[in-house]
Amino acid sequence: MRDGLFIAFGILTILGGLGVVVARHAIFSAFSMVIAFFGLSALYVLWGSNFIAMLQILIYTGAIVVLFVFVVMLLDLKKESSLDTGSGLAVMLSGATVWFFSLLILRAMNRGSYFASEKVLVSQDMRVISHLLFTKYLWPFEILSLFLLALIIGVCVLARPDSKEGPHK
Amino acid sequence: MEAFIPVVIMFVLALLLSGAIYFITSVLGPRVRGRIKLSPYECGVYEPAAQTSTKLPFQFRFYLIAVIFLLFDVEGAFFLPWALIYRESLAVDGTLLVGMLVFSFFVVLGLVYVFRNKYLNVD
Amino acid sequence: MDWLDLTIIFVRTAVIYVAFIQVVPIMIWVERKGAALIQDRPGPNRVGPFGLLQPVADALKFLFKEDPIPKEVNKFLYAIAPFLILLPASLVVCAIPIGDYAVFFGRDVLLQVADLDVGLLFVLSIGSLGVYGILFGGWASSNKFSLLGAMRSSAQVISYEIPLALAAANAVMFYGTFNLRQMVFAQEGTLFGFLPNWGIWYQPLGFLIFFIALFAETNRLPFDLPESEAELVGGYHTEYGSMKFAVFFMAEYINLATASGLMTTLYFGGWHLPWITDARLLELLGSRNLLALLQVATFTVKLSFFMIVFVWVRWTIPRFRFDQLMRVGWKNLLPLGLLNIIVTAIVLYLVEGR
Repeated sequence: MRDGLFIAFGILTILGGLGVVVARHAIFSAFSMVIAFFGLSALYVLWGSNFIAMLQILIYTGAIVVLFVFVVMLLDLKKESSLDTGSGLAVMLSGATVWFFSLLILRAMNRGSYFASEKVLVSQDMRVISHLLFTKYLWPFEILSLFLLALIIGVCVLARPDSKEGPHK
Repeated sequence: MEAFIPVVIMFVLALLLSGAIYFITSVLGPRVRGRIKLSPYECGVYEPAAQTSTKLPFQFRFYLIAVIFLLFDVEGAFFLPWALIYRESLAVDGTLLVGMLVFSFFVVLGLVYVFRNKYLNVD
Repeated sequence: MDWLDLTIIFVRTAVIYVAFIQVVPIMIWVERKGAALIQDRPGPNRVGPFGLLQPVADALKFLFKEDPIPKEVNKFLYAIAPFLILLPASLVVCAIPIGDYAVFFGRDVLLQVADLDVGLLFVLSIGSLGVYGILFGGWASSNKFSLLGAMRSSAQVISYEIPLALAAANAVMFYGTFNLRQMVFAQEGTLFGFLPNWGIWYQPLGFLIFFIALFAETNRLPFDLPESEAELVGGYHTEYGSMKFAVFFMAEYINLATASGLMTTLYFGGWHLPWITDARLLELLGSRNLLALLQVATFTVKLSFFMIVFVWVRWTIPRFRFDQLMRVGWKNLLPLGLLNIIVTAIVLYLVEGR
């Protein structure tokens, strides 16, 4: 049953990802992205990592894609934008990517199960993650807070409505 | 993972309910279509072409709110794992308190910067 | 896990879901009667005794209305947007514990859809998905009132998500778990001999922030700017009709019920009767199932209290202006939430530090 659910949600995730690329309206891309992220968090749950799954929904699905949708509305991307398939480089790159990931999938299938060993599952417990984050990785965490501050200031300066270079009303 | 099985069931139930609602209204409702009825709602304007629909100057402030929300949401998300283990970590030492005080200091700095430059004023 | 377990899970899920959906017609009646009471008029009194059958009439009317799809709308997103709000609202119901457990067929049946170890986080994250229904519904309608309502509403919902998460983090810090059931267990018994041992005595400010943020998250007055019918016609559901329109309100009332349930769970002892422990009650009653019934009744009473508060506030307080709303969210609630966490952390350190 677990393998069945994994395949179902895996297909959902891949379909969502495909939708992001091939959708003709930008807003459908955003919608597909919601589905892809939702499927991805379901996969996290199947891997036994509920905490990461919930944070995935909270941050990626609940915040980042909202920002994308806002951008789509901001730029009024209602007209259909055709997919630029003419470029030879794009075809080559996507072909190489598909080939690479097919190999990865085939390799995983040879192993018999889609799931890692139980040891990995246990180590993803949320208390363990929290302890690691605030003991072993405390310094990276503090430096991260500095980065976030820099991000806030940088974003605000770049997007300032009244600046000469930035976009405005 | 077993704990999530009812969630999947709930998901299916909610989908079924949505489908049922969609189906029932399409069967029961009458169907009388007209040009005016199907035009976008606008008070006192009867010419569909006159309605500018979504060609509205999008207020840039909303975009800024979304960006700032994203950044503070990421910062807020760090409080959750911290809160989970804070109380039991007190039995060992106060590292977590100091760590989070430093983190909060930078969060407050960011907030002050955003407020001082009036990035969130919508008017 | 055999077929009996699966059947029990299925029946439990269906029963609790139906119970939460039943809140919708009841709340329609309560809301209309409450408005009438506050505005000193009779309210619905034609359909059935005291107008009790009014919700049924409303529902039938919605069902038999035409379901028009206006021109120029984006058909797919227009059709699914109401359900994009209903789905997260339904999923959040899963995490709310309405009782300890009952015994059927020799099995312990949890009185909660899913006992999740990430319960509170589940509520926060799935609850944040409701914004897509608003955004897509408003955008797909191809109407400027809808789009404006959607933008405002989504800006409001995302702005109040952060204070909500901070207040939730405060509760998590206090209880040391995300599991809502564990939180309820921690609130059993009495405090100082005369107060029920509820979370609100430990984190009053957290409760206040949570309470206000929930008003904004559920789009209720005084935070119902997306709808503000005087300026925006109907907000993001201007172009909707028939049951699709009703689904928006179904979702709103289900959200209201889960929000009330969440406040009960986090700050008001969940299913516990005040001043008495479950073990003592079990002695008095002598039956697990009777105790479970009493717990569910207690929970329902607490939940109903908050629902009535929601109605009361809606018809008492005028609507905020949009800039006032953003100011309250970002400049008052967010710093207060941070302060609350820091102060609680320092107090906990002083009291419990080694």
